[in-house]
Amino acid sequence: MGPNLFTNYGEAVSAILFCIGFTNLLLQTNLIKKIIGLNIMDSAIYLFLAEKGYIAGRVAPIVVNGVTSTERYINPIPSGLVLTGIVVSVSVTALMLSLTIRLYTRYHTLDLDEISTQLKKEGK
Amino acid sequence: MNFICNFPFFSILLSLFSGTICSVLPAKAAKIVNRVVIIVIGLMSAVLLLYLLSTGESFIYWMGHFPAPWGNEIRAGVLEAGMALFFCIIMYLSMAGGAHKLPGEVVESKHNLYYILVNLLLSSLLALVYTNDMFTAYVFVEINTISACGLIMIRQVGRTIEAAVRYMIMSLLGSGLLLFGLCIMYDLTGHLLMSNIKESVGLIMANGEYQIPLIVSVALMCIGLCIKSALFPFHAWLPDAYGYSTVSSAAILSSLVSKGYIFLLIKIIYRVIGFDIFNSTRIIDVLFVFGLMGMIFGSLSAIKENDIRRMIAFSSVAQIGYIYMGFGMGTQAGMVASIFHILSHAATKSLLFIAAIGLTDVSGGSRKFADLTGAAYRNKWAGAAFTVGSLSMVGIPLFSGFISKLLFAQAAVQVEGKMLASLIVLGISTVLNAVYFMKTVIRIYTSKADTPYTSITFRDRKAYTVTLVCFILLNIILGVSSQPVVDMIGQGLAMFA
Amino acid sequence: MYFILLPIFFPILAGLFLLIHYRTPLSGEKKNAGRKSLLLLTGCFLVITAVFVVIALFCEGEGFILFYLTKDLPIYFRIDNVGRLFSALAVIVIPCAGFFSFEYMKHEEREGRYYGFYLLVFGVLNALCFSGNLITFYLFFELLTMSSMPLVLHSGSKEAVMAGLKYLFYSLCGAYAALFGIYFLYRNCDSLTFTVDGALRASAITEHGTFLLAVAFIMLLGFGVKAGMFPMHAWLPTAHPVAPAPASAVLSALIVKAGVLAVIRVLGMFGRDFLKGTWVQTAWLCLTLITVFMGSLLAYREPVLKKRLAYSTVSQLSYILFGLAVMDETAFVGSFLHILAHGFIKAALFLCAGAIIYKTGKTRVEEMRGIGKEMPVTMWCFTIASLGLIGIPPTGGFLSKWYLALGSLNSGIPVFDVLGPVILLVSALLTAGYLLPLSIHGFFPGAAYDYGSLRKREPCKLMTVPISILTALSVLVGIFPHLIIAVIHMAAAGR
Repeated sequence: MGPNLFTNYGEAVSAILFCIGFTNLLLQTNLIKKIIGLNIMDSAIYLFLAEKGYIAGRVAPIVVNGVTSTERYINPIPSGLVLTGIVVSVSVTALMLSLTIRLYTRYHTLDLDEISTQLKKEGK
Repeated sequence: MNFICNFPFFSILLSLFSGTICSVLPAKAAKIVNRVVIIVIGLMSAVLLLYLLSTGESFIYWMGHFPAPWGNEIRAGVLEAGMALFFCIIMYLSMAGGAHKLPGEVVESKHNLYYILVNLLLSSLLALVYTNDMFTAYVFVEINTISACGLIMIRQVGRTIEAAVRYMIMSLLGSGLLLFGLCIMYDLTGHLLMSNIKESVGLIMANGEYQIPLIVSVALMCIGLCIKSALFPFHAWLPDAYGYSTVSSAAILSSLVSKGYIFLLIKIIYRVIGFDIFNSTRIIDVLFVFGLMGMIFGSLSAIKENDIRRMIAFSSVAQIGYIYMGFGMGTQAGMVASIFHILSHAATKSLLFIAAIGLTDVSGGSRKFADLTGAAYRNKWAGAAFTVGSLSMVGIPLFSGFISKLLFAQAAVQVEGKMLASLIVLGISTVLNAVYFMKTVIRIYTSKADTPYTSITFRDRKAYTVTLVCFILLNIILGVSSQPVVDMIGQGLAMFA
Repeated sequence: MYFILLPIFFPILAGLFLLIHYRTPLSGEKKNAGRKSLLLLTGCFLVITAVFVVIALFCEGEGFILFYLTKDLPIYFRIDNVGRLFSALAVIVIPCAGFFSFEYMKHEEREGRYYGFYLLVFGVLNALCFSGNLITFYLFFELLTMSSMPLVLHSGSKEAVMAGLKYLFYSLCGAYAALFGIYFLYRNCDSLTFTVDGALRASAITEHGTFLLAVAFIMLLGFGVKAGMFPMHAWLPTAHPVAPAPASAVLSALIVKAGVLAVIRVLGMFGRDFLKGTWVQTAWLCLTLITVFMGSLLAYREPVLKKRLAYSTVSQLSYILFGLAVMDETAFVGSFLHILAHGFIKAALFLCAGAIIYKTGKTRVEEMRGIGKEMPVTMWCFTIASLGLIGIPPTGGFLSKWYLALGSLNSGIPVFDVLGPVILLVSALLTAGYLLPLSIHGFFPGAAYDYGSLRKREPCKLMTVPISILTALSVLVGIFPHLIIAVIHMAAAGR
């Protein structure tokens, strides 16, 4: 396992980052920290994809000088996926932020647990 | 290629497009557009279903004429078309049943927004049903999440916003896991189209290399979808989200949104990993155990609840448990039972939500059981509908719930190791269901001498009552003549392979 | 042959009609007019259904499939002699108790609901009798629970609702246990159509014999819940006293017998040869004997009349189950005779108790001193029915117990062949102990009784006539049993 971990350090790092983000999103009570966790988690996945999609010494698949050998270029799809993923995560982050603002203007706190207790007090 | 083969693509695009149009239309026009679109898509799905039944084989539709493995594909079989048709029916009935409550629940200026979200939700559900591409599935999972979140929070009270936040957090955890699993899968196989992945997976399993990463990736996807469909330990967001959003939202969310994810999981099991490979992993045992726990703990939470809508919401947790129990059995029969339960639960749960609102309406808007005493006499149709829904949930013969119970049990009998556990838990859960549903039914039929609340009759709420009657009929049809549906599910599953 | 759908669906539709038409409670001036039409309708429906049933009893034929629930689960109706005997009992008891309730329910609220569900119960009971396979039977078994529960909780008081829920949960638990067994029968039988000599495949018996025995036991326990068999008998003494008296009569005379009918059917499905001499039979005999004894003992200690009768039902039903558990032809005859005798007797007893409550409001036994002087007809019927239940010749109760004891002694099962009759005898003594004091103190209140306050309180004809009919029938069963016994023998042979 040791040598594998070392050669695949990119994947290892992204997995660790994913776990950090995941835990933050799950366990933090502060909404902003949760959102940061979400972004770390998503970025970790994009890192993973980018790492997997890049092969050292090759270039983007744009034909230059008439070289058409597949040995020369990388697969463009992972990069495309990263882009799509980023769009999705941006929209989700925006939605989460807007929800956070709503909650903050109502309850003047970012702590989700405290919001829950306030809601219980309202009794509705 | 026949013109009908365009229908899946048309339906996805039509609902997406109508969502866009709704943003510039006045509320009333948006409502009509929404209804018409649902009906049209429903008709297209029905035609497609008939076409597929007549040809007897599924087809693959190339988006933009890029052939595999580069292009994006749509795939339609009997199961997909049937699901799409069923989703349209439930969605239409849910929208019609909750329409009269909308003005009181949502600010006037946001009505057309509501229809945008509904259309968006429909399109993402259809895409989840039809797509043959894993990454497209992920993108539409996120669209589904966003529109569902919008449906929860469009009723602007503290509870719903909080519920929406909680829903978002759990959903994002789920989709994060799904995406990560997907990426690992892509890394292992180099494909995104389901059929291509399946070939590679077969090779991997045959070679014996990279099996552990493969199983990790499958597990991540499964857990992700379980979280999103509110399997037992991940259900914390559910009661608030279903309990406080608008009626139509609650009905749609409980009966369709979670089912969309479950359907995607079924597709992953059959079309990506392969049924036999999936069953050889230990993941099904985990699903089985969590399903069983959900069946019991969901019902226990529902018993403790003093709020009729939250009670129905908790009952969903138990019913989702049934579905995962069927997955966990690891047999074709278990799968058929689960899919039938998806239909039966969708029909029943939306009926219950819609009927419950009729009951709370005649109890001064209160959802506490104490105020609901005798509500069935004040709104007779809602009372009758709630009774039908409850009987179906308890599993009384002639209603759809009984058939799914029967199918589950028949499936369980065939699995040696899991037979006793599933039958016993099925029994306990049946009795627990009876505890809270029949308690409620008796409560609403207990007459109270002097009530300050006024009654509602058929004439006051024609559309609402007609919806209820349709729901009741749907339940009874599923319960009495289930064989064609079960046959269709079997045929659809056969097409998956 | 399709005619047998009429006695099933006519009362069900009629009941639904009443439920829908009289859904709002009547009050004030409209109450009298509305009540009159309601009673007229109910009476007509009851009589028409009874006529249908009587005609259906003489139908012959192979039966027919109404529709398919799933591909190989048909809803199948058929008439056989077991069903005939049961529906003959139902067709007498239900209209009697129905006419009795015309007077009894006079001051109750929501009579429309009561009669609606009453008719539903009638139809569902007929369907149970005419069911031709296990899945049809199960369907109507569940519906019976659902349609009889509103009768139990009719008064709507908290106590009644709790009793209704208790009834519901016990029944559902039992029904589920039975369903559990049906799944396995479904796998191991060629079809679920009722037989009398076992439907299990021979290969299944050799392969899963032990397991199938356990399944049989679970099914017996499950259906036994409805028949009030120990350890799941507790719903009976709770549900009976809170229900209106005519409903208790139907509950006790017929609905609990649905459990017995189920046990007979299950016994036929597994076949006596399969169960004879196994641990299932032993355990079952033990349970029934415990129930017989315990039921009588609890009844003996119970001060509230209706509850005492309910405990008595628990005990008497296990007489029947004991007779079935012996698995002997003579005992089988005894069981069937007891089904009929107990049905008539217990209905009469509950109706008497109802008449007493209706006229005097007294529920406890010690308050009923001198009641025989006030309500002589009612109390005479009560006394005769009591004698029948104890088993004094020439009543039906004597004959059935005689056959039961004879069958048990003939059966040759070690220990139980003698123990059974002994316990039946002890229980009969206890029965005398808990029923006769009522008659004795009723007619001979003793010197301390204040004869000055005595008033004639005989209820009207609507009450006394049904009671008298039922009492008379309970005696007639004992005097002219030949026809019935002939039919029972045919039933035992599966014709």
